[in-house]
Amino acid sequence: MPRIALSAALTTLMLVVVRFAARAETPAPSASPSASPAPPPTLLYLSADRVDFYYDRFLLEADGKVRLRTSDGFTVTGDAFSMDLKLNRFTVAGNVTLHDASGTVSGAAISDFLDFRRIYFVPVTNEPDRWTFLDGDLAHPAKGRVMPGDAFYFPSLPQQPSITGTGAIVGAKTYVRFINSHTYLAGAPIPLGSDVVNFSGNQYFAQNTLSGATVDLTWNVAGNDNSLTAVHLRYDPTYHIYLALEQHFVGQHEYAIFSVNPATTDKKWWNLNLYEKLGSRFQISSFTQYYAQQDWLREPRAAQQTTYLNATYALPHSYLQATSQLTNYNVLGPGSLQVPNTIAGSLDHPSQVEITATSFQNKVGKLPLFEQIYEGYGFNHDSVGGNQYLQGSNGVPPIPTPGLQAYGAPCLDQHGAKHPPVYFCPVYTTIWNTVLGFNFFTPALKLNNPPSPYGTYYFNASFNKQYQWNSLPHWISTTSENFSISRQFTRALNTYLGYQILNIGDHYINGGYLPCEPVNSFYCPLSFTSFRGVSTMRTTSFGMNLVPSPEFNFSLLVRHHVDYPIPVPGVFGLPPNNVLGQPLYSWFLGQPPYDMTANVRFQIFPHALIDVSKTLYWYGNPYRTQFWQPATVVQVLPI
Amino acid sequence: MKRRALSVGIAVLAIVLIAAPFDAAWGASIVVSGQLLAYQGGYVFFTSGDGFRVAQDVVIRDAKTGGTTTLKPAPRIWARATFDSSGTVTELDLSRTPLPPQGSFDDVQRFAVAISTPAPNPDLLAYAPTPGPGETPLPTQQFSGRPVLVTFIVQVPPITPFTSSVYITTDQSGWVAQAIPMDRVDALHYQITRRYPSGTIFRYLYDRGSFQSKEVAQNGLDRTPRDFIVPDADVRVIRDTVYAWNDQSNGGVNQVQPQIMPTPYNPAPFPNLPPGLPPPRPPP
Repeated sequence: MPRIALSAALTTLMLVVVRFAARAETPAPSASPSASPAPPPTLLYLSADRVDFYYDRFLLEADGKVRLRTSDGFTVTGDAFSMDLKLNRFTVAGNVTLHDASGTVSGAAISDFLDFRRIYFVPVTNEPDRWTFLDGDLAHPAKGRVMPGDAFYFPSLPQQPSITGTGAIVGAKTYVRFINSHTYLAGAPIPLGSDVVNFSGNQYFAQNTLSGATVDLTWNVAGNDNSLTAVHLRYDPTYHIYLALEQHFVGQHEYAIFSVNPATTDKKWWNLNLYEKLGSRFQISSFTQYYAQQDWLREPRAAQQTTYLNATYALPHSYLQATSQLTNYNVLGPGSLQVPNTIAGSLDHPSQVEITATSFQNKVGKLPLFEQIYEGYGFNHDSVGGNQYLQGSNGVPPIPTPGLQAYGAPCLDQHGAKHPPVYFCPVYTTIWNTVLGFNFFTPALKLNNPPSPYGTYYFNASFNKQYQWNSLPHWISTTSENFSISRQFTRALNTYLGYQILNIGDHYINGGYLPCEPVNSFYCPLSFTSFRGVSTMRTTSFGMNLVPSPEFNFSLLVRHHVDYPIPVPGVFGLPPNNVLGQPLYSWFLGQPPYDMTANVRFQIFPHALIDVSKTLYWYGNPYRTQFWQPATVVQVLPI
Repeated sequence: MKRRALSVGIAVLAIVLIAAPFDAAWGASIVVSGQLLAYQGGYVFFTSGDGFRVAQDVVIRDAKTGGTTTLKPAPRIWARATFDSSGTVTELDLSRTPLPPQGSFDDVQRFAVAISTPAPNPDLLAYAPTPGPGETPLPTQQFSGRPVLVTFIVQVPPITPFTSSVYITTDQSGWVAQAIPMDRVDALHYQITRRYPSGTIFRYLYDRGSFQSKEVAQNGLDRTPRDFIVPDADVRVIRDTVYAWNDQSNGGVNQVQPQIMPTPYNPAPFPNLPPGLPPPRPPP
């Protein structure tokens, strides 16, 4: 019931905000005629004996029986075709015929500068001539006009094309779809059939729903001005080699992206990302993930779903943001908990909603100091709670809660279970929270003024304080201070020395953390005895970047942590990693006192970098333990 | 008087000899090299757009060897053309690869055949200066295309995790989110240097490795990509500010990450405490 009420309230809120946003953007009635809409982008339908595409320079070249039909209303045939997709102009040369509604004219070459709506033509009637067609008017050429010097320029071409085919459809400034195409891998042709190269300036085409991967080879099977369908061949250390599918639908102010990744393993993530900008002040977006363990498309053995909803309304000097997160850890329901399907997971389905107001970054007087403040109100609900499914098998009914957080003594009524996990009562299924925080920071301040800029030291500092009050009653304070001094020694080398203090206090109004027991055991070392929910982490960092050329980069980060609670090997769990093996969190309790991360990055192909990083962790005295980050993180990055 | 007349006569003769084209004066040929645009109807066309008459008995040779060739005059083929004194092409030496520059098309412009009288083109404007950052170039803006070192320095929000990677994504690389990795240079700044030909026009955004974590505008909305035109300069430094990341709102609950199920709301900030520690509770 609370979920239904929550959903209804959310929907109502969104509709109200959308209505206000739409009203704010509705233009007032005007007597003047409205501007005509922009013309649709030109489409070119090209066929030839051979069509080549050069990715390095976005050149499209064709030779032999060239035939070009344009959406601007004319057809051209000739011996050779050349188009610079970025400059958005093409040339057809050699035994050219130009055919449109008014007739056919022969010529030596024709060049269309699409952006400027100018067509330069060298007709050959009795003798050659020079005609310029203005603004798409093919019936009235301006004869004899001097043409740009490079109107009929052929570019010099690299040895190996990236894609070869027998036809192409060009959406001006947006995409090329090749027909009967093949690409090349180490010089060997790989047939693709249809293949799309999208070079649109619309960044929404790149909005994706896939996780990171060590290597991602993308085949764009189909596409046009507003859509793109891609098959990805990927590798990562978690799922190894697999295929993924992704579909984009893109507009000027909206997009919808659907994907399944991996698509060829029994663990599949189905993703849907929606975005809409309504007017100039309001936007709404959602991201839904559905995780299923299933063979192909058979009935899943386990399924989870989570949806993020975001709505943002811009104000003159601040903005309001409503965020929510709706998760269902077991979409299959209670029946999935029966043996042998117990991998399905817990039945809890927490919901969170928060509305936050955030100010812009404002300068404090005339000081070299900026401030930002934010405040939020949140609602969190989970009627079932995690881990209760352990009680749900073999006909034993699940324990109805433990909800979001238990706070109290062990519960008495455990439904007659003989050895149930120990839960604590009362259990809070709903927690309201308030967040208040502020940031102060300085821009880069010069510490000296030497004659050479490479002798300058810069100082940076930032301070963040955040309070979160929960209805439990319970409050958390977080304080973060960062300082750094940096210097660029040469164009290629820069270094910095940083110091960070992070304080986290987990405070309860009444009671709170108890001492760890039994004292001086493995999981309760003496150094941990006095922990009562407040941690302090002090980190000294030394970073260095060596960039002798834009194609090579080496960086080194060495850190020393002086933390409380004192880290003891094996006592604190390590944080989870993402699919590439990178830690998900930047800090955690029990992090080893020393770590060193080396990263090297260099160009391996004209359009690809390889990035390799590895971290070594070690404990000082008295443990003297060290270990490497489990995975070497390797990524091949397209550039 | 005779001496004066002789001097004037010699001077006039000298002027005539100097002013008259050497080739015309002596009946010699003119040779120019360039790339062919077309070869048809008794004319050869170069990529300058000029068409020239071709002699019926034109000699076609291999430009490298001077011997016979299987190449035929066609678009993209490089040619060295020999003009006779009447402006007719009498010889074409062909090559698939560029030929060394020879002669000038200005010297043979007068031989180009065109029915219409040349007329000025108002589209072709004078040179305009290099625009500054954020300025739109004029349609006829000219750049040399020289390689320019462009350094990007970005100030990130103070809540950016210290170990975060920051990238630049551009339309030049198809909006690949990790196209240009940056390096942290201090507590609030990242930096990278790249080399681009002058005149390159591109749009870019900062992100933290994916489009879920791209930058947003100061007002919290999706921001329009920044525009940049690489000027004709040795070095250009661009300083930008990122006000917030899409996946990291101040005090917010949303941490959108593909392929990671969020943990249930947990008001306890220490998720990895040792198992021997009982959960918080009221005093007995």
